[in-house]
Amino acid sequence: MMEKLLQLEKVSIDDGLGRALIKNASLTIFQGEFIGIVGESGSGKTLTVKSALDLLPDHLVITSGVRQLLGKELNGLSSKDKRRLIGAGIGFVPQNTVVFLHPMIKIKYQMIDAYLYHIDNDKKQALKKASDLLEKVGIKEPKRVLNAYPKQLSGGMQQRVNIAMALMTDPKLIVADEPTTALDTVVQRQVMELFNQLNQSEGVSILFISHDLKIVKQFCQRMYVMYQGEIVESGETHEIFTNPKHSYTQKLLSLIPTLTNLSMDKFG
Amino acid sequence: MLSFIIKRLISGLTVLFFISIITFFVLRWMPGDPATLSLGTEGTPEKIAELQEVMGLNLPWYQQYYHWIQDLFSGDWGSSYVFGEDVMTLIIQRLPVTLLLAAVSMVIVIPFAFIIGIMSALFKERWVDYIARSLMQLGDAVPQFWLALIFLVFFASKLGWFPVAGYVGFDDGILASIHSVLLPAIVLAIGQVGPLIRIIRSSMLSSLEQDYMLMTQVNGLPKTLAIVKYALRGASIAPLTIIGMQLANMLAGAILVENIFALPGIGRLLLMTVEQRDLILLQGMVIFVTSAVVLVNILTDICYRLANPMIRFGGNHE
Repeated sequence: MMEKLLQLEKVSIDDGLGRALIKNASLTIFQGEFIGIVGESGSGKTLTVKSALDLLPDHLVITSGVRQLLGKELNGLSSKDKRRLIGAGIGFVPQNTVVFLHPMIKIKYQMIDAYLYHIDNDKKQALKKASDLLEKVGIKEPKRVLNAYPKQLSGGMQQRVNIAMALMTDPKLIVADEPTTALDTVVQRQVMELFNQLNQSEGVSILFISHDLKIVKQFCQRMYVMYQGEIVESGETHEIFTNPKHSYTQKLLSLIPTLTNLSMDKFG
Repeated sequence: MLSFIIKRLISGLTVLFFISIITFFVLRWMPGDPATLSLGTEGTPEKIAELQEVMGLNLPWYQQYYHWIQDLFSGDWGSSYVFGEDVMTLIIQRLPVTLLLAAVSMVIVIPFAFIIGIMSALFKERWVDYIARSLMQLGDAVPQFWLALIFLVFFASKLGWFPVAGYVGFDDGILASIHSVLLPAIVLAIGQVGPLIRIIRSSMLSSLEQDYMLMTQVNGLPKTLAIVKYALRGASIAPLTIIGMQLANMLAGAILVENIFALPGIGRLLLMTVEQRDLILLQGMVIFVTSAVVLVNILTDICYRLANPMIRFGGNHE
């Protein structure tokens, strides 16, 4: 049986004032899967995933539910063990590319930290790994990028750096929170191909949060649909696209622009 | 970087030019001319007229100004009527005392402000933060002259930990020298530490909320590493500018503290000069002090750029 990498069971989160933000979210990711979470802004996608990675802001409260990561129950771990588990086992690729990299620290010093701390305290090895990974994500001059500050790189380059950084500890699961939002379509495609390749050839699981249904349809094997803090539908991607059950999913899918309805709009 | 330094130097010189004009006119428009003052009770109208001739006070103002500036650049800053010595010599004699006072004070202020500011940000709205903020308010509110007197009475006179007054030169050992300015330096530090703590606390709070801190969490980095390497680095820029400004402020603080503790520094000299209406010395000191402030500001700006790659590579911020 395939290993469960991440599992949320009926997790509910409120804002500390008693207002529910996430209601009974359940979600599972097995080894080797490429999973999508879709939903409009504010539907709770990011919050749900952040709760699984123990990244919720202090004022939010998890009121109920079980969170398991790499076979371990998060509630039972000390904060140090949690840090090690997440830092070494999970890679995170954020949405906004600019502020997630520290603007005043050279790329190389940011990339190697997790490796030095979790894998091996050998700076030379860490730098070599960083350089190799940058090359792997399609950066042609890794040396230059390693010695650069984030501001010297384009948005697409920064996102590649983020992906390479997420891979530094050879994680089993990569969580990508709308990783292509700030990128133009060409770079968007390259980044998605990269995730796909990591998934296909190296068996890295990907949890992909997006509001871009076309990308989800193309790359994800299974998907979850979120609406107002709840997971309203889940299943095989092609199944949901061909036969959406929930009214929100149906509405969401009808909003995808296609060539036919575009031309119909135009020519009446 | 070089073009930046040149630009800053040019703007610094412009400031000094205007200061020199203002100083020149204000001092000339003050009642009582230097020749009369200089001769004091011995001044007969003939002698005064003679000295005015010698001092060039009969020349038109622009010629007087021109000669003065020319002399400034050639290192001849005139001589004081009160002390009968070269202005430059007097300033250089007093300078080490004030520099040592400011340096010791900064050595106290910077680590103290960083530790308190960081702790206060890390434990926001907890007792550490409350105590730090109360102390900050207290430091701001307590008048320095009063604090100086209380310290003098308690630590110097009663406990005998410090000399009551006076300065021990470097000849008697650097430690003895530092010891002689320590109490005034502490008083000076208390007045300066509040604003620095406040700026460190708020920069640190904003840095802790940045998304790069989330990445340190995702990467599972230990808290101390995340705070020292990431949060503190992000919070280091604003305090740097404040430190530069505070160095300039310390000159003002030095006037008060040096007088109370009878330290023969620039601040004490400045006050004596004003009291004695020693115009030549006064204008020399004004130029010297403003040049020092302008220089400190230029150095701060350079450090600010060196420390901040966002500006170095940001392009249009010059």
